[in-house]
Amino acid sequence: MADKKLFIDALKKKFKEEPTDKYTKFYIYDGWKQSARKREFVEWAQKIAKERGIPAYNPEMHLGGIPVGQRVLMPYKISGTDVYCEGDDLHYINNAAMQQAWDDIRRTVIVGLDAPHALLEKRLGKEVTPETINEYLEVLNHALPGGAVVQEHMVEIHPALVADSYVKVFTGNDELADQIDKRFLIDINKQFPPEQAEALKKAIGKSLYQVTKVPIIVGRAADGGTISRWSAMQISMAMISSYKLMAGEAAIAEFAFAAKHAEVIQMATLTPWRRARGPNEPGGLPFGYLADIVQTNRKYPDDPVKVALETLAIGSVIFDQLWFGIYMSGGVGFTQYATAVYTDDILDDFCYYIADYVKKKFGGFAKAPRTMDTILDVATEATLYGLEQYERFPALMETHFGGSQRASVLAAASGVGAAIATGDAQAGVNGWYLSMILHKEHMGRLGFYGYDAQDQMGASNSFSYRSDEGLPLELRGPNYPNYAMNVGHTGEYAGIVAAAHAACKHAWCVNPIVKVAFADPSLKFDWTEPRKMIAKGALREFMPDGERDAVIPPH
Amino acid sequence: MADIKVKGGKYKPAYPGQTIVAENRRKYLDPNYELRKLRSISDEDVVRLLGHRVPGEAYKSVHPPLEELGEPPCPIRELVEPTPGAKAGDRIRYIQFTDSVYFAPLAPYVRSWMAFWRYRGVDPGTLSGRAPLEMRERDLELVAKELLETEVFDPARVGVRGATVHGHSLRLDENGLMFDALRRYVFDKEKGEVVYVKDQVGVPLETPVRVGKPLPEEELKKLTTIYRVDGISTRDDPELLNWVKRIHLLRTYAGFKLNKAENM
Repeated sequence: MADKKLFIDALKKKFKEEPTDKYTKFYIYDGWKQSARKREFVEWAQKIAKERGIPAYNPEMHLGGIPVGQRVLMPYKISGTDVYCEGDDLHYINNAAMQQAWDDIRRTVIVGLDAPHALLEKRLGKEVTPETINEYLEVLNHALPGGAVVQEHMVEIHPALVADSYVKVFTGNDELADQIDKRFLIDINKQFPPEQAEALKKAIGKSLYQVTKVPIIVGRAADGGTISRWSAMQISMAMISSYKLMAGEAAIAEFAFAAKHAEVIQMATLTPWRRARGPNEPGGLPFGYLADIVQTNRKYPDDPVKVALETLAIGSVIFDQLWFGIYMSGGVGFTQYATAVYTDDILDDFCYYIADYVKKKFGGFAKAPRTMDTILDVATEATLYGLEQYERFPALMETHFGGSQRASVLAAASGVGAAIATGDAQAGVNGWYLSMILHKEHMGRLGFYGYDAQDQMGASNSFSYRSDEGLPLELRGPNYPNYAMNVGHTGEYAGIVAAAHAACKHAWCVNPIVKVAFADPSLKFDWTEPRKMIAKGALREFMPDGERDAVIPPH
Repeated sequence: MADIKVKGGKYKPAYPGQTIVAENRRKYLDPNYELRKLRSISDEDVVRLLGHRVPGEAYKSVHPPLEELGEPPCPIRELVEPTPGAKAGDRIRYIQFTDSVYFAPLAPYVRSWMAFWRYRGVDPGTLSGRAPLEMRERDLELVAKELLETEVFDPARVGVRGATVHGHSLRLDENGLMFDALRRYVFDKEKGEVVYVKDQVGVPLETPVRVGKPLPEEELKKLTTIYRVDGISTRDDPELLNWVKRIHLLRTYAGFKLNKAENM
């Protein structure tokens, strides 16, 4: 695989010179005008400025009249696809698919039905059958988007604004699943390869879980913290209506408690006050959960590298571009860091190279001894191979023009390599840290000030599980203290988690319930192919959920 | 300058490696090693390039001279002799360098290590594409002059850039110069020299500053502190590789199995 140099095609498209050429010309490209996207921006901005009477975007404002584009403004290939786009198309705000990916996570809470059903049967003497469950689900599909179910003279929400909102259920019990109305069922047997399906059903058992998709517009109007509240309110109302309960008796409080707390699985934990956000915001999303949300492993169960790369890509979008780049920092800078891992087939080349190395040396994936020797061997090879490519192909070095980009990519390849060799995410993240210090000594440079700090100390906590000293990588997230301002790292860590478990052919990484909840064909964002979705967004071919057309003037 | 330089004494840098790259790192980190002078740049030109004051202008101060300030009793103050700039109450100002990946003499980490070992009163920063160095203004001018006149500077592969530093990893232009979006310097083909026409933040200079001829690549390869596959690769320096791996093992075990780290 590595003999092909997967990145060559992209480099040839990006630059007119041979990728091995060390010299080029600068200052002759007519600045921003070389970019179709920037020209479009200028056209729009001029129209806007005229209409509102306030100046808008104007690239001539850059550097006191020296606009961007003194060098080639290179296009980007979305790795693993044939799609080329401009860098601007990969900013989160410019890419509807990226927004959909996060909307899909934020609007999700999973709520178990076992406790409410026990309450109905044991305390209230109601019968719970597949028929009553189906009826309840139909009621909830009316209520969750904003329909009233119990009280008279209620205002309701225009269905066109909340067409993305619905509820589905899943269970590990085939008999029960067979009796659930197929419109409401996430069918494990249908969505997963047989071995994965069996493992998932065994882990989930007879329990029944509902996946509630709260309207996207609710998450955007409030925040992720409201999702479980909205869901709990409508679940409780639907229960009251479906099972003819008294609204206000003490037992209802227990429904509410189950729906709001006891049986709720949030996608993300809340963050401490200095980065304060509620649950279901990206800062609290554990790497293992994201690795479970990505569904590539059910479509490509034999290709752990692809599983890792797809997870890495959307991880970089959500953690780097959205969490660090928009929530924590603001502005436009972070996109450059993040896109390095999912553009131009560069990380693909490095990862498939090291995967071949692992296969040849250890006879397959997850077969190497789980020792420091394996980590030293694999991470060193991945790092030096990657550094050599940057040095042999000046166009490659120019593509990843920032040290943080190169450091992330090389450490990611090292981490993925160590993870697929051993089948262990902790070995993977330890390999990451070796790569960083090796890279630093080789080039005499790494990333920017804040980038490097955590990589000097990371080795020391990569195997520590004790509270305040460490955590399994699967359960770490951007909220982990050492990763709190860690651009160019956290998406990659999710990829390392995915790599380790995919190498072992595990059906899930951390949570089988999260894995199944996102195996939902009704989602507009195809979680088996995140990079294809990002590419569709870049081409403006991705039609997202959520809009306001029904309540604004025609336009 | 003597008041700003670290007195090396018997110190010898312990940086590992058996190649010329490792040797150069040790050399530049060694305060006892005198950097080889390759070009002359006048004091006024250094001041112009820095852009913090015009030549001849008095230094601005942020506090009265220490002698007048009446400092409180403090053992650290007794131990550490202030630099001339600190004594006078100068502002803290900066010079910032961009070092090309193509065999520049220094790279950011080496630049920072070197600053710590060779000069007093320094605050270096370490990034991938730039390396700021902050000091009291009059101290800075002396250090900047040494950094520009000696073997650790190359007019084509090192840039003096306060902002918009983009270029360290880009291909070189047709004259072998590193890209600079602000075009602070031009190549004088007739004399074969690099001439700064803007100061480090891009303000046009009334009097351009000549910084001399770029070194040939073969010469740069002898001076560089950067490992590269088309020069000296890290694979060719097992001592360095093994040292890095040992550090990694020590850090890993220290956080996990401390007794194992203690016995290594």
